Amino acid sequence: MGSATIDHMVSLIVFIAAIMIFIGVFSQPIQTAIVYESHRALSTKNSDLLDTILLNPGINATWGIDGTVPTGFGLQDPEFIQYQLSPFSTMRLCCSTGNLVEYDKTSHSVYYENDTLVFGSALVTPLAEALNYSTALSLLGINNTYGFQFSLTPDITVSVMENQAASPLTLSITATGIGFPFANAPINYCLLQVTMPQNETNYPSYCIQSGVVQTDQQGKAVLTFPSITDPNQVYAFIAYAHSDGVVGVGFRTRVSSINEQSVVPLVEDIASQKIALVHSYDLNNSGPNGFSLKYNTTFVVMKQDYTLSELSLGSLNGAGSVGIVSSGVGNPYPTISLPTCTTGIVIVTYQQDGSTQGGIVMMPWGINSLALPVTFGGNPAGQNWVTTDIRQVTVGGIAYQAKLSLWSSNGNGVAG
Amino acid sequence: MIRTIEVLFVIIIISGAFIGASYLAVLPTPRQVSPVNLNRLSLTTLQMLDSDYDLSRAAFETDNSTVLGQLQVALSASLPPNVMYNLTVYDVNNQDGQLYSAVANISNAQNLGMTSDISTYTVASSNVTFNIIPQKIGDNGVGGTLYILNCSDANGWWITGYTAQSLAQDLYNLLSPYFVQTIMVQNTTQLRELLDNQTISGSTNERVQNAVVINTFGECVPMPQEYYQGQSRASQGYDSNALNGYNYVKYEYTLGSFVRQYNWTWASIVGYPFYYVSNTGVFSNDQNGWGIYGMKMTSTGGSKAFLEGLNNQNYVYDSGAVTDSASRQVTFTSNVIGLSNYYGIYPAIYQTSTRALSTSTLSGYNLRVALGVFNPSGDYLAGAVYNHVAAGSNDTTGSFLALGLTRTPDVRVTALSLLSYYLPRLYPSEYIAAGTSREVVLQLGLAGGS
Repeated sequence: MGSATIDHMVSLIVFIAAIMIFIGVFSQPIQTAIVYESHRALSTKNSDLLDTILLNPGINATWGIDGTVPTGFGLQDPEFIQYQLSPFSTMRLCCSTGNLVEYDKTSHSVYYENDTLVFGSALVTPLAEALNYSTALSLLGINNTYGFQFSLTPDITVSVMENQAASPLTLSITATGIGFPFANAPINYCLLQVTMPQNETNYPSYCIQSGVVQTDQQGKAVLTFPSITDPNQVYAFIAYAHSDGVVGVGFRTRVSSINEQSVVPLVEDIASQKIALVHSYDLNNSGPNGFSLKYNTTFVVMKQDYTLSELSLGSLNGAGSVGIVSSGVGNPYPTISLPTCTTGIVIVTYQQDGSTQGGIVMMPWGINSLALPVTFGGNPAGQNWVTTDIRQVTVGGIAYQAKLSLWSSNGNGVAG
Repeated sequence: MIRTIEVLFVIIIISGAFIGASYLAVLPTPRQVSPVNLNRLSLTTLQMLDSDYDLSRAAFETDNSTVLGQLQVALSASLPPNVMYNLTVYDVNNQDGQLYSAVANISNAQNLGMTSDISTYTVASSNVTFNIIPQKIGDNGVGGTLYILNCSDANGWWITGYTAQSLAQDLYNLLSPYFVQTIMVQNTTQLRELLDNQTISGSTNERVQNAVVINTFGECVPMPQEYYQGQSRASQGYDSNALNGYNYVKYEYTLGSFVRQYNWTWASIVGYPFYYVSNTGVFSNDQNGWGIYGMKMTSTGGSKAFLEGLNNQNYVYDSGAVTDSASRQVTFTSNVIGLSNYYGIYPAIYQTSTRALSTSTLSGYNLRVALGVFNPSGDYLAGAVYNHVAAGSNDTTGSFLALGLTRTPDVRVTALSLLSYYLPRLYPSEYIAAGTSREVVLQLGLAGGS
């Protein structure tokens, strides 16, 4: 009787202990499998969300150009189908890589500057008209459940370097794809050579020199311009590399100003395509009052043969496309209105009053015009699990890679 | 003791189950857990390569190594470096019992790794013409004749910048494929013959009854000289009692009567309908008040007289207007916008109307809106096809397309309106034809291990 009881007790204890151990052992892979399953769902969600963003224009469809706040988020160009994005909707995204710029003379006061472009080109848009990350989360219906970062990166990077500054000017162009040099590809280029007049009453202007060159096996090409002998010659150079539907844009500008003052085109109102031409000293109150620059503004569009064609500009406050802009309180700023919702480049040549020093700046109207990259959304760094998915898209004919990184706001991690 | 042994057996069984489950239930690799959607990446890459039809061209030039080399460079440059690809071009044919035969292949790797996915894309040869054959209005034996007023002895108004003849030619190009017979009415003599129910082309397909008549002269209507004062039909064209010299409103009444009698669809392309009559012979000394000779004003009463005739009422001079002059921005109805895509005619969706017709006024003449071309603005409709259905009847006896847009006219609006009303079908030709289509298959894989 006693041994049977002991036998029962020992066996029961051993059994319970074994069950406890096995529960612990089994739970480990089960937990991991559950987490993996949630990651799989996250990946599926990512792919769906990316297509949602890329394959619908949003509500209303023209929110990219009419300045309204959309009630549905989407970036597709409403005039096209498939994976073609609107150059203007993407321009209204409040990029996470941008800086804030203060300009007191306009009603918006605070602007957002996309700093992904190099000197000589800038896209400064009103913060009030930018679509921010939290709004996009709400419009996509993933507020408090997911976080994301959306990026558009040009497929082709076209970089332009000066091999020789003058006599003659020699430029080296390198076209590189995401995964491979853009070899044996035609490059159509435009050199905008700026003339600074000696006469006080004239304004700086430019002439365009166009041509075609082909890249070698490494995706490189070299160009010489014998007509440029002055190392202070102001110019802008734009290159379009293209082959089999894949198109990339690169550019370079050179200024002769000995100080930092310049004219900055600033998008004052997207809906009315109103552009303010401001003195750089007035941005963030970074310079003294009373400095003046003569300017000459044009708007050019890229034609199908990759040459530039000028469209006429309208002026809103009677200043016209040429004039003088001065820094400081009390000095008005000129505004121009772009002719249509066509994408293009606003080109401003400027000259310091009373000197032959000056420069040239370009502002893309539509991100495709100068292959502006876009990064929009939250920061994936530090998240437990981030899924990514990519698509090939075109924005105004320029090839981009659209990438969406998605993570769960609940922070599911991999156990074990 | 036996209980302990039994428990040990249980432990051995559970251990075996755990080992077996662990062996069989292998967790997926992280790449399989969160894969890049290679299928969509592949499809979007193909679409991008064909955005300028370069892929279509390359698919039919597979013997040209330069073209294929460029395609490979573009493909390599646009894909991330860890993505391997295999692009194959297949010829689509129906010979030898094999539907697809591979004609070219480019790849950057011998195999595509652990996971891969494909997309297919059909391209067409640039040498192929795909025809669309429209259904003919009237091929059921009723109507089917389109008359376009192209009278050389009349002038138009509110068509500034165009001539009636150039508009007629444009309308001919736009609409003649959709009608059994399209006839230009070259002068007012032919117009008079039409009004007399006579055919004017000699074609056996021409039918006056149930025809469509487009007046390309804007606010003005060509008038045969027989309706001039003192001529043989003056009683049908001239009202000596009409006010302010608007005597030829009677001619508009006669026109309305014929529209009802022949069950025509009369199309007014712009402005206020029937505001003038024109004949450069008999009105050579009259001008419309704006320096255009050869025409005579009938003013606002012109439309009323036409509607009286259309509604089979007795002629009573009525100078009342059927429109106001308010400027309105109007938009096409969703139905017409959809049909704009169907017929491939794309006038601007937004138009400006300054002569929109009052719906309530027109309803007094037994007119029903058969097609709203533009969305209404209150009581006013800037464009619509009205059917005249007499009281107590269900039959349509005459129709009236009135486009009260401001000058100058866009004849695409007229063409789209008529097509939207008659709805002829379009029959596209067969897309898949031997030797004219090729299938491009892009298979993508990811390099590296898990």
